[in-house]
Amino acid sequence: MTSLIHAVELTKYFQVGKKRYLHAVDHVNLDIPEGKTLGVVGESGCGKSTLGRVVLGLLPATSGELYYQGEDLIHGNKKQRKKMQREMQIVFQDPYSSLNPRMSVYELIAEPLVMNHVYGSRRETLQRVQELMEIVGLAERFINSYPHEMDGGRRQRVGIARALALRPRFVVCDEPVSALDVSIQAQILNLLMDMQEELGLTYMFITHDLSVVKHISNEIMVMYLGQCVERAPAEELFQNPLHPYTKALLSAIPVPKLGASLKHNLLRGEVSDPINPEPGCRFAKRCDHCTEACAGKNFQLKELGDRHFVACALYQ
Amino acid sequence: MAAEKQVKIRKKGRAGEIWHRFKRNRVAMLGLVLFAVILLVVILADVIVPYEDAMTQNIVNRLQPPSSEHWFGTDNFGRDIFARIIHGSRNSLLVGLGAVAIGITIGGLLGAIAGFYGSHIDAVIVRIMDTIMCIPLMLMVLSIVAALGASLVNVLLAMMIANIPQYTRIVRSAILPVVGQDYIEAAKSCGTPNRWIIVKHVIPNAIGPIIVQATMAVGTMIINAAGISFLGMGIQPPTPEWGAMLNEAKNFMLSDPYTVVFPGVAIGLTALSLNLMGDGLRDALDPKLKD
Amino acid sequence: MTEPILRVENLHTIYQGEERNVYAVNGISFSLNEKETIGLVGETGAGKTTTALSIMQLLPDRIGKITEGKIFYQGENLLEKNKEEIRLIRGACISMIFQDPMTALNPVMTVGDQIHESLSIHNYDNLPEEELQKRVDELLTLVGIPANRKKEYPHQFSGGMKQRIVIAIALACKPKILIADEPTTALDVTIQAQVLVLMEELQKQLGMAMIMITHDLGVVAATCDKVAIMYAGEILEYGTVEDIFAGERHHPYTKGLFEAIPSLDSHSRRLKPIEGLMPDPADLPPGCRFHPRCPYCREDCKTGAPYLFERNGHQIRCNLFQEDTAI
Repeated sequence: MTSLIHAVELTKYFQVGKKRYLHAVDHVNLDIPEGKTLGVVGESGCGKSTLGRVVLGLLPATSGELYYQGEDLIHGNKKQRKKMQREMQIVFQDPYSSLNPRMSVYELIAEPLVMNHVYGSRRETLQRVQELMEIVGLAERFINSYPHEMDGGRRQRVGIARALALRPRFVVCDEPVSALDVSIQAQILNLLMDMQEELGLTYMFITHDLSVVKHISNEIMVMYLGQCVERAPAEELFQNPLHPYTKALLSAIPVPKLGASLKHNLLRGEVSDPINPEPGCRFAKRCDHCTEACAGKNFQLKELGDRHFVACALYQ
Repeated sequence: MAAEKQVKIRKKGRAGEIWHRFKRNRVAMLGLVLFAVILLVVILADVIVPYEDAMTQNIVNRLQPPSSEHWFGTDNFGRDIFARIIHGSRNSLLVGLGAVAIGITIGGLLGAIAGFYGSHIDAVIVRIMDTIMCIPLMLMVLSIVAALGASLVNVLLAMMIANIPQYTRIVRSAILPVVGQDYIEAAKSCGTPNRWIIVKHVIPNAIGPIIVQATMAVGTMIINAAGISFLGMGIQPPTPEWGAMLNEAKNFMLSDPYTVVFPGVAIGLTALSLNLMGDGLRDALDPKLKD
Repeated sequence: MTEPILRVENLHTIYQGEERNVYAVNGISFSLNEKETIGLVGETGAGKTTTALSIMQLLPDRIGKITEGKIFYQGENLLEKNKEEIRLIRGACISMIFQDPMTALNPVMTVGDQIHESLSIHNYDNLPEEELQKRVDELLTLVGIPANRKKEYPHQFSGGMKQRIVIAIALACKPKILIADEPTTALDVTIQAQVLVLMEELQKQLGMAMIMITHDLGVVAATCDKVAIMYAGEILEYGTVEDIFAGERHHPYTKGLFEAIPSLDSHSRRLKPIEGLMPDPADLPPGCRFHPRCPYCREDCKTGAPYLFERNGHQIRCNLFQEDTAI
């Protein structure tokens, strides 16, 4: 299997003060095969959105290597990078703030086409916009509408159409359904899956919601404070979660079933900021299995069984 | 498939749409009509009343209250106030609109650049603007005019420079919340160049407070220009100008109030018309208020 | 049977617009017994928050208006009371917590002062200052925050901690009813679980009744005794959690909602969305409000109010159940 996106020790630090660095993404390895979906799961502040932006080149990486189809995205020449970045697009979380309220649907979807001089004539651009609207299931009568005249689901369809305009091969979906109602959420998830099949897209699906990611991902990566703590094929991760954090995340999801209780495996404490973190497991403070072995050194992902990686003192 | 052919993107574009929304706002239309009348007066000043009427002094008839002969009365030199207001409109509007328009263009651009790029560029621009702001307006204008020589153009230039920091600040603070919006990042991610993002995404979404501030500033500018004239620079008497008229008349304010009322009303109406238009324009530019 | 602590009867609330009115709540009725939790569940625009604001009488002035119905609190109709009486009930008897803990706290007041403020407003027994301060400490401890942090400002707390403080403020005067409007939507899952467990414990400890407004059926299963499924300002299905989460008979919308949730156990990849969109509350469809999206829609659903099925308190507004009652 060839991987479309390949990252080695990708790192992004933000300077937040004198000699104070926020370790937003800390030595993360990625490998996304063409046509597949990698789900990236974690709580707010775990660096999942930053990771997506670094992969897309919207934020420069602090260190590490990143390849798209084997081409170096970090050291390669600028022109080449620009060309490749056209094939990598993003769908944003909030369909309310990610669309310019002063632009009509036509202008919004046409923007990437116009900006990249894809078509010479207005007629061709219009044709492509209509085609895109059909692909994402947006009725043509909305072509002159403004974002505020549409509901969240339709707006997100506009956002998806924009992302698809330049015929990308790789799309980062940054919490694309978090702001939507359940019934609409399912519509958008199905649309994303259909498009993957039809257009052979590769996704990096970022979300805080494990139940959403289960349906769409082939492989799932759980992040905590900038680090990848567990990575496994989707089914495997749900059947056999290993890292204590993954387990806690799974049991914290309120299940719509009688007699469901959240008290089991309740996590204490809250996520802190990974500013100049000490070496050692970053989850240790909230972990019930924490021992002295958890401090002092960073844990590398270790393969336990079939493509199931975990970084935890319990499994070293 | 016939339906598909009927789908049209609006050809008349943004301007037509904005005009359509503006038209429905009665108050804004009132402002527009008022401003159109003022502009008409500027253009047709010589037709309405000859320029000599505004200049001819007649000490015998000084400080006459309004009458059928002198509609707005006469000033302390016996000049017809009505004629002076009509002919003063040109200079006043030039000073007011000119200073604001140029100030806001340069200040706005600097503010947009500072707000959009942030970090070092922002710091440098803001520091320079803060330094200019520390100098009192009048002192600043006076020194510039003193250095360049007293003339209408130089006063305009001086007021413009003195006002740039203010607009830079306003535009910068209007732009900062917009720059943080996701759609700016969305535009970047599909390869839109920065200058285009500023023009197409940032400014249209930040323009509301800028328009309101600009239209309110015109009146102030006219008064400021008058202050400069009073100090012997800029527009020199006997050239008719509203602010200068106010200034000259202030000694007779209590005994002959009409000498200040009419130029005051003229400035007020100009500011009001622009203000109403500005509010209307701000609303018309916002597609959310379409219906 | 004893009088329920809160009874809402045929409540209609509208928002008056310049050109058209928005019909946010259209004749809902439910009752809440002491120490009970009811879940108001629905999607955006279902009228959940409007219902809560109607009970608190915090609807926006001039625009929001209760046009019909009665709200009984301990047998007294709240809609007949004057502003001052309502003010005294608010906070002391019925309290509300809002979705976003980030904006619900005043950033320039210490959290201790904010809790203290709420106490001193309703300090009818004229308790001395030391007593009030002691109560502030008690409340903070109650929600799991060390009392020595009361001199800190909201920005020094994380999101989950802030929501705990908001809860402490709401509980300051020992209200009989707590209305929680999406209290955990803005929080991370692990923090959500903590806050929900805390709320459940507090409710037991203090013996309050609670109205839990949420879009998440999982939250309902974890916290509620009764459930009202709302759609376009109406309650389509109403009953105990058992009625809603188990049993055979359900409103097609309830069924659709359950099927649309991405589940952790299912193995199918595709999800089952409810086709179509929430109706425009200014232009509601005639007949059953859900009929344009309903897979079981019949001719008689398009006109006239749907049939009200009722058995042992389990209510379903749907024509499908017309035949069922004969059994």
